[in-house]
Amino acid sequence: MRGLGVKAARVAIVVALFAIWEILSRSGIVNPRLLPSASDTLATLGDLLQRASVRKDLAVTATEVVTAFALAVPVGALIGFLIAENRYFADVAKPLLFFAFSIPKSIFLPMFILVFGVGFAQKVGFGFFSTIFIVIMSTTTAVESVKVEHLTVARSYGATPMQTAFRVYLPSMLPVLLEALRISMIFNLTGVILAEMYASRDGIGHQIATWGENFQMKQLLAGVLMIAVIAITFNELVRWVETRCSHWRT
Amino acid sequence: MQPLANITPLKPAGAVEVRNVGQIFKTTTQDVVALEDVSLDVKPGRFVVLVGPSGCGKSTLLMMMAGLRQQTSGTITISGAPIPEPDPNRVGVVFQEASLFPWLTAEENVEFPLALRGVTKSDRRARAQDALKLVGLDGFGKRHPHELSGGMKQRVSIARGLVQDPPVLLMDEPFAALDEQTRMTMGDELLRIWAATGKTVVFVTHSLTEAVYLADEVIVMSPRPGRIVDHLQVSLPRPRTYEMLSGDTFGSLRDRIWRHIRKSA
Ligand SMILES: Nc1ncnc2c1ncn2[C@@H]1O[C@H](COP(=O)(O)OP(=O)(O)OP(=O)(O)O)[C@@H](O)[C@H]1O
Ligand SMILES: [Mg+2]
Repeated sequence: MRGLGVKAARVAIVVALFAIWEILSRSGIVNPRLLPSASDTLATLGDLLQRASVRKDLAVTATEVVTAFALAVPVGALIGFLIAENRYFADVAKPLLFFAFSIPKSIFLPMFILVFGVGFAQKVGFGFFSTIFIVIMSTTTAVESVKVEHLTVARSYGATPMQTAFRVYLPSMLPVLLEALRISMIFNLTGVILAEMYASRDGIGHQIATWGENFQMKQLLAGVLMIAVIAITFNELVRWVETRCSHWRT
Repeated sequence: MQPLANITPLKPAGAVEVRNVGQIFKTTTQDVVALEDVSLDVKPGRFVVLVGPSGCGKSTLLMMMAGLRQQTSGTITISGAPIPEPDPNRVGVVFQEASLFPWLTAEENVEFPLALRGVTKSDRRARAQDALKLVGLDGFGKRHPHELSGGMKQRVSIARGLVQDPPVLLMDEPFAALDEQTRMTMGDELLRIWAATGKTVVFVTHSLTEAVYLADEVIVMSPRPGRIVDHLQVSLPRPRTYEMLSGDTFGSLRDRIWRHIRKSA
């Protein structure tokens, strides 16, 4: 019942936000040229989704996002694992990683264009670069969350390294990793969209940038909604897996 | 004489022999002598309790008996053979409460040692059921650890230690995290299980009452470097009862242990 109440409250807040948006624009409190009304924006969104070119842009972006994610997560996880397993390496690498993590990544966008040119590789590369540090750091934390007692138990019952990896490390780490996956996706999506907005011939980020430059506010806001929906969908998907594993947490 | 008497018999299953064992931990700053010249003999089927001040090396000694750590000097044999690495067919280990895997159900936790050796699912299930029944947890197999009380969790740990039917069971402060009442009940339960299975048990505790109540023999260790300072035989009859706790025999045994520990504090 409480869960239902929370969901209802969330829906109510979203509806309320849209209502306020609509009122602000319709009443002229905010210039409608600056902030087109919610209903107009939704209508534009419907229009845009009919267009083949927009659908193609969405497909391009989705491919880039999935590719960057599929590369960054295993590579980052492996590096994070190796760092966490080696004390010396961990001591050396951790502050450096945190430093790298703290730098705004967009500074490096021109370098990606120099290396990869403008296109798929540049955007995937930048998405990868935006994501990998958070994956490495989260994995390191996840490995540290594995309890020594559990490892000793496995050892005392003669587990092989492989068995220890899959039967102790992986399940211990999974809750932290799923949470990390969610956050990594945010970084990944942001990275790819940013790369598209900076320099690209296609993709939804490129479209949004074009609409923005031409002050097509309706289209721009519709684009923002599209990206919001993509982000929320992914988020909820991982959350759903998370709650299914929630009994693991003590 | 029997005709085979001139052939050296195999050491009976369940014997634990510790001979002149020492353990030195090398750390970056100094060498820590944890144990020095420890010798003890545990006959099969005996219930032996180790007590001693914190840091005297009880856990270290148990780890070495389990093959989880190698001694710096001396020899340890379990059922007559050295134990260079963990051997769950010879030794079962019961850890503190936190050692159960929270992502597995009670029966999956108990099956864990069997799953590692590729025992078939149905076989595993059947043996886990037997072990859970033995520890009094029939019908709780589908629960996760967080759905069990502290005492029940330790029953699961014991079941996991017993599932491969090793002759020796090593227990490092298994009831330390439990409240006193549960602890008393678990002591009785352990004695019942021990009587039913005939295992050799080496049990570490900080509770002198628990030590005397459970043990056939109590071994008292000195502060670091850990040495054996006393070895008591507990002659109280079995089954042990709550009334014995207030008897003279019990009191004098506990006092004797306490005097050793106090001297070292
Ligand atoms: N890996 C290690 N490196 C260095 N020193 C260690 C290590 N493990 C244990 N020691 C030291 O060896 C001594 C014995 O430790 P141990 O854990 O066996 O004691 P214990 O008797 O079980 O103590 P407690 O009653 O507190 O559990 C301690 O002084 C401890 O600091
Ligand atoms: Mg200890």
